[in-house]
Amino acid sequence: MRLILEVWRQESPTAEGRFTVHEITDAREEMSILELLDRLNHQLVDNGEEPVAFESDCREGICGTCGVDVNGVPHGPRDNAPACFQHIRALRDGATVRIEPLRALGFPVIRDLIVDRTGLDRIIQAGGTVAVDAGTAPDADALLVTHADAESALDFAACIGCGACVSACPNGSAHLFTGAKLAHLALVPHGKKERGRRARAMVAQMEHEFGPCSQIRECVLACPASIPITAIAAVNKERLRAAFWTRDN
Amino acid sequence: MTSLTQDTDPIPRAERPAANPPPFPPTWALKVTMAVTGMAFAAFLAFHMAGNLKVYLGAEDFDHYADWLRTLLNPLVPGEVFLWIFRVVLGLSFVAHVGSGAILWYRARKARGPHARKILVNRISARTMIWTGLILGSFVTFHVLELTVGMRPMASDAFVQGSAYANLVHSFSRPAVAFFYGLTMALLAFHLSHGLLSVVNDLGATGRRFRAVWFAIAGIVAVLIVLGNLSIPIAVQTGILT
Ligand code: FES
Repeated sequence: MRLILEVWRQESPTAEGRFTVHEITDAREEMSILELLDRLNHQLVDNGEEPVAFESDCREGICGTCGVDVNGVPHGPRDNAPACFQHIRALRDGATVRIEPLRALGFPVIRDLIVDRTGLDRIIQAGGTVAVDAGTAPDADALLVTHADAESALDFAACIGCGACVSACPNGSAHLFTGAKLAHLALVPHGKKERGRRARAMVAQMEHEFGPCSQIRECVLACPASIPITAIAAVNKERLRAAFWTRDN
Repeated sequence: MTSLTQDTDPIPRAERPAANPPPFPPTWALKVTMAVTGMAFAAFLAFHMAGNLKVYLGAEDFDHYADWLRTLLNPLVPGEVFLWIFRVVLGLSFVAHVGSGAILWYRARKARGPHARKILVNRISARTMIWTGLILGSFVTFHVLELTVGMRPMASDAFVQGSAYANLVHSFSRPAVAFFYGLTMALLAFHLSHGLLSVVNDLGATGRRFRAVWFAIAGIVAVLIVLGNLSIPIAVQTGILT
């Protein structure tokens, strides 16, 4: 396959960014977007140029490190798949592919395709943790969790924190991310102990750096963990609850 | 504590969560305000539409209904007191709805950053809320000036305070007004459908069955309001109502 790549190059957070155009003549269908970038970097290094900086780690869809916009869509053309799972067979031979960093005000570019996603870390730091003494593992059946709650909590816990939802959103909103964590921890016994405090802290932190949600629902298509739209409702559910129930739990 | 990274390091360090208060009023509270006032408007519209349909029962019935509205809850609440309480509540809701919408629009626009986003599923109603809202807002102003206050040139030349039926027919006999009214009803369909769908998320309804039932009811209510209202200018223009 032959592909024309337009890649975002930016030396530093403060430098002007621009697209540079490269041609890849030996791309193979089974390559992922990340392998395409690897191929490009080999080519650049061979020509004595600076390779493109981008992030990746597991390359099997579990770490959430990868994340670029491909033709304006976070991760790539396929719905609900991370960049490491996006194969270029979804692209036409000879097509022009525009690869740029995840875009949002909350995600400033560090270099080339790498953005600073610590805004999401700060939301987790604010309350996305269990800060009660959980002790050692209790006996089985000592803490009862219904099957439905456990399944639901696991679905929300599937978030890999890649930030695609924020970049997909025309409002730069982190509701899907924050809601997934709030919904997850509100369903499990230890998480419940700090339900109210967590909602207040995480929503406040989220509002510092990210936009409001107007239910455009692009995030749900972009999310590689297929977090359901009810995570969005969970943000206001938890926050409203915490407004009336002013204790920690 | 000394910093582990040198100051020349271009990679921003993760900072602790902010200690200063978040933006005020909080975004979630603005969304809740929009949802609550929006639902109040939708309920008002449903009753307004049902009342409007009385126009098909003839002038006497319609005027009697219009009169009844002015003296609602008489004699418990004397005169037009209830009417004015109602107006003030609706007016304040209007201000809260528009104000929250404006702040949220600004925050959303800012948080997006300088790069436009590509939309995969073009949910027109979601993305045009601010514009349909602005047009509906100006329509409401026009509508009140025309049929409540009776201010010309909004009101027809034949406007007489108190004869609701005649005023309505005279007003919709003007093709431009009938068209403007029809157009806003079409926009209302967009605004209302997205608004009523958003309410479940803004008020935090996560239950699957509740959401499904709400979506069905919201859709039916939106369609009924729009169709019921739309029928009136059409009936006047086609000579069914004279
Ligand atoms: S590299 Fe780990 S999710 Fe893509």
